[in-house]
Amino acid sequence: MILGLLAAYGWVQLVKRREMREMADRQAIKTRTSPAPRGVIYDRNGNKLVDNRRALHLVIQAEELPKDPALIEALALALQRDPIDLKRRIQASRQAGSNRMVIIQDNLDEVGLAQAELLRARFPFLSIETAPRRVYLGQDLAGHLLGYVGEVDESLMKKTPGKYQLGEIIGKSGLEASHNEILKGVDGERRIVVDHLGREVALRGLMESVPGKSVFLTLDAGLQRVLQESFGTENGAGVVIDLRDGGILAMYSSPSYDPNLFLNRLTQEQVKEFWQNPVRPMLNRATQGLYPPGSTFKLLTALAALDKGIITPSTRFTCSGHKNFYGRDFRCDGVHGSVDLIQAITVSCDIYFYELGQRLDIDEIHAAAVKYGLADRTGVDLLHESASRVPSREWVKKARPKEPKWYAGETISVSIGQGANGVTPISLARFYAALATRGKLFTPHLLYGMRDETTGKLAPIPPPPTQNSGMDPNTWAALDQGLNEVVRNGTARSIAMPNLAIAGKTGTSQVTTFVDRSHYAGLAKKLRDNGLFAGYAPHGNPQIAFAVVVENAGFGASSAAPIAKKLCEYWFIQRPVKPLPPPAVKPFSSFQPDEEGEAP
Amino acid sequence: MKISFNTLDRRLLMAMGLLTFMGLLTIFSAGRGSASQGHMWIKQAGWMVLGFGAMLAVAHMNPARLFRGSAIFYALGILSLLAVFAIGKKIGGAQRWIMVGGLTFQPSELMKWLALLFVAHRLGTKPPTEILTWELFGVAGLAFFPMLLVLKQPDLGMAISFLPILLLIPLIRGLKAKWVALGLVLMALLGVFAWQKVLKPYQKQRVMTFLNPNADLQGKGYQINQSRIAIGAGGILGKGFTSGTQTQLNFLPVKTTDFVFSVWAEERGFLGVLIALGLFGLLLNRILDIGRAARKASEVYFCVGAAGIFALHIFVNVGMVIGILPNKGMVLPFFSAGGSSTVSYFLALGLVMGIHRRTLGQ
Repeated sequence: MILGLLAAYGWVQLVKRREMREMADRQAIKTRTSPAPRGVIYDRNGNKLVDNRRALHLVIQAEELPKDPALIEALALALQRDPIDLKRRIQASRQAGSNRMVIIQDNLDEVGLAQAELLRARFPFLSIETAPRRVYLGQDLAGHLLGYVGEVDESLMKKTPGKYQLGEIIGKSGLEASHNEILKGVDGERRIVVDHLGREVALRGLMESVPGKSVFLTLDAGLQRVLQESFGTENGAGVVIDLRDGGILAMYSSPSYDPNLFLNRLTQEQVKEFWQNPVRPMLNRATQGLYPPGSTFKLLTALAALDKGIITPSTRFTCSGHKNFYGRDFRCDGVHGSVDLIQAITVSCDIYFYELGQRLDIDEIHAAAVKYGLADRTGVDLLHESASRVPSREWVKKARPKEPKWYAGETISVSIGQGANGVTPISLARFYAALATRGKLFTPHLLYGMRDETTGKLAPIPPPPTQNSGMDPNTWAALDQGLNEVVRNGTARSIAMPNLAIAGKTGTSQVTTFVDRSHYAGLAKKLRDNGLFAGYAPHGNPQIAFAVVVENAGFGASSAAPIAKKLCEYWFIQRPVKPLPPPAVKPFSSFQPDEEGEAP
Repeated sequence: MKISFNTLDRRLLMAMGLLTFMGLLTIFSAGRGSASQGHMWIKQAGWMVLGFGAMLAVAHMNPARLFRGSAIFYALGILSLLAVFAIGKKIGGAQRWIMVGGLTFQPSELMKWLALLFVAHRLGTKPPTEILTWELFGVAGLAFFPMLLVLKQPDLGMAISFLPILLLIPLIRGLKAKWVALGLVLMALLGVFAWQKVLKPYQKQRVMTFLNPNADLQGKGYQINQSRIAIGAGGILGKGFTSGTQTQLNFLPVKTTDFVFSVWAEERGFLGVLIALGLFGLLLNRILDIGRAARKASEVYFCVGAAGIFALHIFVNVGMVIGILPNKGMVLPFFSAGGSSTVSYFLALGLVMGIHRRTLGQ
């Protein structure tokens, strides 16, 4: 009997002592990951757009994760959550051996806190922790552009093994996603001694988290607000580009969304509203919406014809209201008589550009689109940008394999921006930026510089390279004059201002197809076209270029052009005089909600 | 009455003293950092002083007088056990304690010694060869009756600690197969009777949990697991006084009573376990030696029974905390905190010492 005891103690204390000591340490010494606050996001004038604040969360610490499925089910029931989902989440965390807590309920308010305490009495493995939480101060001011954050998806983790940790908060869309590496910071770790109830008894080691780098955007919050407000309830998008470097001064997609909503677990109704809505509010129309450019495209047709030497700016065609091309009657909005290029642009004469379309091959138009940056992505620093499309023979083979032949009649439609054309507002804005700057092809971008929150220093990031499309000076002069005439005497004369010369082109195009067609069912608006306006200002010394698309709003002159006017009014007249380069911002803690840094 | 240490068995005294000291240190360490148990070591030290005094007093009495009074003691003990049912205090579903002036007293702790005393006395009145079989049954009954009462509290661990008294029967009759068989049948019948007539359903549940700790992983299984980790983490030399994480961070359950030896093993290591077991061995050896040298049969019987009870507690507790024996809730002599048990062990040792003195002729 004595030998049996000695053998048992010898086995446990001599042979298995390391294993046992490890087990003792494992339950007494815990490593807890403390998430780093993400970088603060400012507009170009130092207005805070996105901040962090400490929030209380109901969590399960990694070592407390319950094993009993019945217990998890009971918890899910108490939380009114899907038990399968919760079980999967908890299981995944346990299997990954993650040190991260699993957030059960995010951002507790007073009522939530009281409920969480009650839950803790029933489920002692729950705890309440503070962690930084994103606050989008402008709410829906720039929802698509800023994006939102959330726990990394399992699918993304599988796609990029080792890059993310389970439970890590990453940018899910917008700038939060595209500049996640800059914004995310380095999570800290606390090694603590806990007692049998998991209560912290002593601190063994601490690795402070490093906050993410704060960034200044090229965005001007005031201009952005004007853009947002001028859309009202209309759907569409607008982009304003800084002609010095291609920085985006404003970019709005309507309907917008409030990213704060996506920090919480969405209700089923919200999921439906955001992702199954025929209006597709989650789509960033500015970079992802493909719209037929309508008459705004005529400048590209003109460029193709001028570059080819088919016409000169003084070449005239006669408009009698309609003309037959390839056996089909094509109509014009008016009877313009004999017009040269500048007049044709001013009054947006379709016949003139049909004539050019007849003399051009589709591949020549496509080549011009490539040359002037209207046939691809702009390379803006946002994910999932759509590529603008100007058809070519090659494209048509892929796009309509059943009917791979290109018909010359189609070129006629393309020449006035209809047909298979589809451009994103951002690429249209860039095209007009090229027209404003005698051919500069910018890479539109949103990142102005990085601000180190600890040193307070702002390090500007050099803008991405600008290419020169090699626009002929004479060609440019004619188009520039034509665009100015549009506002002075042409289709957009309603927005002419006495003290500011705007150059631009109206456009009206048939409804886009990316919005689910059922959205238009039974609506009178169904028959109404998208209105467009693209241009730059001030004429003669352009500083900004813009493109505005208003869906189903009829003529561009009456829907989109007034928005452009408001943008110019704000930017050149009403804007509080502020130095464009970001001022030195006084140091502050990135954790405190900013009193004076109100939402712009 | 003149108290003389010289007349006491030195080795027994030394083993007991060291074990008591070790036990007190362990309770001090186990209670550290706990509001409810922080002062337990002081209380325990008080019980030890009280027990030590009682031991000395008993050691200086004439054992024969104690044996003569054993019938009365036994009767009083039974009465106090019955009183438990009438006025006893219920703690955690079991009714084992009587409140006496603010202190809780557990009659069953003392009762096993009184039963042993009475049985030893009864058997000692005649030469072994003249003891009739029915008398042996009667003697067994004397042990079984309080045992049943204890079982009804319910306190299975304590009930089992009455069993060593039955060791005296083979001591008298020799270890014969039929006696062993009879003993087993008797116990089986008793078990069946208790199961069907005495125990209530929730008590049965409790017994089932006692018998099969793995069925209750969150409860008893958790305890054993934590205890094994504590013991193993102690390694060869231990983690040092008041430095065991299992103990200090409360991972170890009931660490001042049932699992007190795990605390010792964690903080003192395998070496400490060897020392403790060596001292227990010495203690048992001395009790048996004293019994062997005793002149009267009842004294021999008492010593053998006492060694049996001590051995059972030591073996079951030390085996239980490391998980080779099921968790029966049996305390470890000199280590586990508790007034009734501590004083009872000292009283029993006092009688053994008294027997020793008598043998030496003082």
